[in-house]
Amino acid sequence: MRSRYSAFVLGKLDHVERTHAPEVRGDFNRAEAERTIGEVEWLGLEVRRAREDGDQGSVEFAIRFRRNDQDLSQYEAADFRRIDGQWYYAGGKTSASHPPVHVVKTGRNDPCHCGSGKKFKKCCGA
Amino acid sequence: MERRFRCTACGKCCFGQIPLTLGEMLDHSGRFPLAMVWRAVPKGTRAYALTERLGTPTRIQKTRTVAVSIVPTAYLPPSMACPELTPEGQCGIHDGKPLRCRTMPFYPFRDASDQAELLRPRQGWLCDIGETAPVVYRDGTIVDSHDFDVERKALLAQSDAMRTYFDYVVRYMPWVLDNLPATIGNQEGGVVTSLSSFLTACKPVDTKAIAARQQLVMERFAAKTADIEGLEAYHRNFAGWAKEMAYLAS
Repeated sequence: MRSRYSAFVLGKLDHVERTHAPEVRGDFNRAEAERTIGEVEWLGLEVRRAREDGDQGSVEFAIRFRRNDQDLSQYEAADFRRIDGQWYYAGGKTSASHPPVHVVKTGRNDPCHCGSGKKFKKCCGA
Repeated sequence: MERRFRCTACGKCCFGQIPLTLGEMLDHSGRFPLAMVWRAVPKGTRAYALTERLGTPTRIQKTRTVAVSIVPTAYLPPSMACPELTPEGQCGIHDGKPLRCRTMPFYPFRDASDQAELLRPRQGWLCDIGETAPVVYRDGTIVDSHDFDVERKALLAQSDAMRTYFDYVVRYMPWVLDNLPATIGNQEGGVVTSLSSFLTACKPVDTKAIAARQQLVMERFAAKTADIEGLEAYHRNFAGWAKEMAYLAS
């Protein structure tokens, strides 16, 4: 996945195209990617979460870039699959912003989230 | 109730975007800069049932059900005349002009019974709706509906291709849906997606030839819109799309 980001930054789109899993390779809009690499200044890749389960993997990441004098970011939860020892991009869920953050409510008698070891009601929840 | 209408060939409706059918989009690919224009029609409004047949029902903003129409479009700025409008104000391709131009002022994206308000000339248009103009609409029925029927039929015939494209965009460009609420009730508005995304999703057999023709058209329109105040976004699109077409043509 990092190699795919690096390939975008370096304009090496052959690498991006050949690391698409066969079922999504035809969906890659290479023409748009070719145009994009000339217009975008890449600002960074942040991997938020990565999981691996046998030959299945998933990576949640955010990319930041600058286009038309605007700082933009894009978030994606991407699926990867290993075929003959090589990881391939197999699709994902993209959004222009971050997915909603789920707030977990701490019960009054649960351990406090500050890590003190006290009950929430005796600590930060007091 | 009878409504009268006669076109005076004032040329005022020959400016800005021209909705095309899918077949026309490909036929005219050497003529117009092409893009796909998305609009949402909310459930509960008059045009909903028809838009659902022509397009795709979906949910936006979690709770709002809308029908989405995607229209292949000659993507011209509102201030720009059709490239085929002659200096004499006539249509340069009259015999082969798009169905949308033929059917004017009727509009088959709305029910035949819902056309009355389209017969009122828009501001600045010189349509004749006086006593001597022929009756074209009577009791919610179009008197001569030939062009309307042909255009409607073409729109229905392309609905499967548009659904394929809709699914592609939802999967790979979901932010397009996020921008749809702004198009509701806004006749002029619409979310624009590129021809390259449509060609990638639907893969017409003659993609390469279409792209080669579009590359030249896009370059022409990028030049036409360069350094014109208010058209910066159009210019950027044309220039960028020209590069995309150059790749697809190669």
